Amino acid sequence: MELVVRKNDLLRELQLFQGIVERKNTIPILANVLIEANGNEVRMLATDLEVALRSKCQASVAKSGSLTLPAKKLYEIIKALPETDVRIEEDKNGVKVAADRFDSRMQTLPREDFPTLPDATGKSRAALPRNALKEMVAKTQFAITGEDTRYFLNGAKFVLKPDSITLVATDGHRLALVEVAHKVGVTEELGVILPKKTLLELGKLLMDGDGDVMFESGENHLFFEVGDRMLISRMIDGQFPAYERVIPKGNDKHIDFERERLTNAVKRVALLSNERSRAVKFDIAKGKVDVTSSSSEFGEAREEIPVDFTGAPLTISFNAQYVLDFLNVVETDTVQLSLKDEVSQAVMKPVGAQGYDYTYVIMPMRI
Amino acid sequence: MNGLRRIVHIDMDAFYASVEQRDRPDLRGQPVVVGGSPEQRGVVAAASYEARTFGVHSAMPMSRAVRLCPSLIIVRPDFQKYRAVSQQIFEIFRSVTPLVEGLSLDEAYLDVTENAWGATLGTDVARRLKAEIRAATSLTASAGVAPNKFLAKIASGWQKPDGLTVIPPEKVESFLQRLPVDALWGVGPVTTRKLRARGIERLVDVRAADLGVLRETVGSLADWLQQLARGEDDRPVVPDHDAKSSGSENTFARDLTDIHEMRNEVSEMARDAARWLVRHERYARTVTIKVRYYDFTTITRSHSDEPTRDEDAIVARAIALLDRTDANTRAVRLLGVSVHNLVTELIELPEPQPKLPFDEAGPKGPALHL
Repeated sequence: MELVVRKNDLLRELQLFQGIVERKNTIPILANVLIEANGNEVRMLATDLEVALRSKCQASVAKSGSLTLPAKKLYEIIKALPETDVRIEEDKNGVKVAADRFDSRMQTLPREDFPTLPDATGKSRAALPRNALKEMVAKTQFAITGEDTRYFLNGAKFVLKPDSITLVATDGHRLALVEVAHKVGVTEELGVILPKKTLLELGKLLMDGDGDVMFESGENHLFFEVGDRMLISRMIDGQFPAYERVIPKGNDKHIDFERERLTNAVKRVALLSNERSRAVKFDIAKGKVDVTSSSSEFGEAREEIPVDFTGAPLTISFNAQYVLDFLNVVETDTVQLSLKDEVSQAVMKPVGAQGYDYTYVIMPMRI
Repeated sequence: MNGLRRIVHIDMDAFYASVEQRDRPDLRGQPVVVGGSPEQRGVVAAASYEARTFGVHSAMPMSRAVRLCPSLIIVRPDFQKYRAVSQQIFEIFRSVTPLVEGLSLDEAYLDVTENAWGATLGTDVARRLKAEIRAATSLTASAGVAPNKFLAKIASGWQKPDGLTVIPPEKVESFLQRLPVDALWGVGPVTTRKLRARGIERLVDVRAADLGVLRETVGSLADWLQQLARGEDDRPVVPDHDAKSSGSENTFARDLTDIHEMRNEVSEMARDAARWLVRHERYARTVTIKVRYYDFTTITRSHSDEPTRDEDAIVARAIALLDRTDANTRAVRLLGVSVHNLVTELIELPEPQPKLPFDEAGPKGPALHL
């Protein structure tokens, strides 16, 4: 194999592979990216067996072929090179990566060791609006548990209906749900669980560019085609919890907050919250909410927020991080907190959000 | 250690409830419980003696407690306060001996074989401890004095409140003769029923029981139970900071490739860990497994949840963790199981961050279906 590729073209793609390849990998070949040169392009593939990414960029190929190289090292080298052409060439002694006056020889692993990944069939595809999908991922992915033995909580539920798309994530203490009305082009409802890593990497792919995302559900895998790139993900087996049950319908106390003001107050007050519980208390009274915290170690803090509220006083406590996670991904000027009482699930929503419906449910703390 | 030990077990009387009654005169003489509200599925963390006459006891669901005693006064727990009082009490303990093993905020073992007061009788130490606790906190404690931990603990529960029961070595045998088998911790109502069905009513009946039959009934605790039935318990009083975790690991003579075999190994080790918890009167929040693959790469996986020392629960957690590794595709040379984040009682602190109620029917009737 022999090819010449522009540094920046290759770097842009290799960067996207860095999240796919696992740092603590136990199977050596999975640290490598598979590089296939053919025609006037070079195709790349990397996987951790849960998520895989295929991508490609333009190249002038002198001799077609394929080989594997360590994804991290290759990325570091390409990144360190000046803006110029990079030559990758395989000879009987190994793989040469060269540019300008730089010359290197890299260890390779047999191409045959690289796992075979399923291909999309191209049939029964659904077109998903890119921006909406981006919003959905950003507004839910933080709520997924990292390490839970309830394996299905390590992912987000993705539901396609003929006229809507839904993404839901929960760690058992709070739940984030985004629903977008859209004619998806599926005739039957489809519900799958996406691994956390898939969402994270999908989020990165959606960062720039435009055009719909083409989605396809295979037997055990899901395919997201984003421009020239294809993200392949394993589905998580298991029953996602019946999330509809924990979304309260009867919360009759509503308080609107200026988002910025609430965010700043919670951030400041949380600095003196108990380090383990991170609890902040909302003392809700006529015309104002006092956000307070106290920790036996550090002291206590309070910030008053004027609000339009006339109901009976109520005190409710939350993990500050859960509240901030929501506030950090919302753009509207106003957010609404809806409550039933001190101990039942609270709901937070952006007010006046365009194009999506976002519901965030938090279980209050017992303080 | 040479000769006989003198172990004191001190247990505060209805601790949380007594602290509340001490600080709020209006609660004195009233049936008081400390705990969560009945609407929130709260449990009784402590019940005053007045409440106990209605049959209310700790760990009981609050909703049931209220049914038993409609005039019950429920006080929300103030653990900061209890912890402060507990510190006072433990300072008194540690002024007598460094060998203090706290079981909870209000309960501890002390090895007073040698003690700072120069007392030769455990009884004298216990009496003085009780007096100092009362002077410093206005609270009463019950004490048990015996040559080992298990007897000391049973003794402290013998006369409550404000009791002092001594089992000198020469009285051990006659004391044992009187003990029903369910006087032991680790022997719950289910086990008791099973033991009774096999003619084992008293602890001493365990001595004569066939070990095979006993194993069938109480599993791995059989040997331990037989030791106790002979009045033998050589567990040392371990100062608190020593026991933070327990576990075992096993390097295999040949690498394991069969996942079923690995699961068996992991369950055995998990059972060992559970037995250790029973013997040390602790519960574990966290179960950790360690897997070393054939190529020496080593990983650990942990899971934290409600504290438990139930063998099956710990086995289930360990197996679930194993299934999250590559053990079914890669040969394994070492497996290990350990338990961490130990607590000494189940109703210590209500979890400050409750879970979303996925498992219940919705608040407004049956769940919606998509």
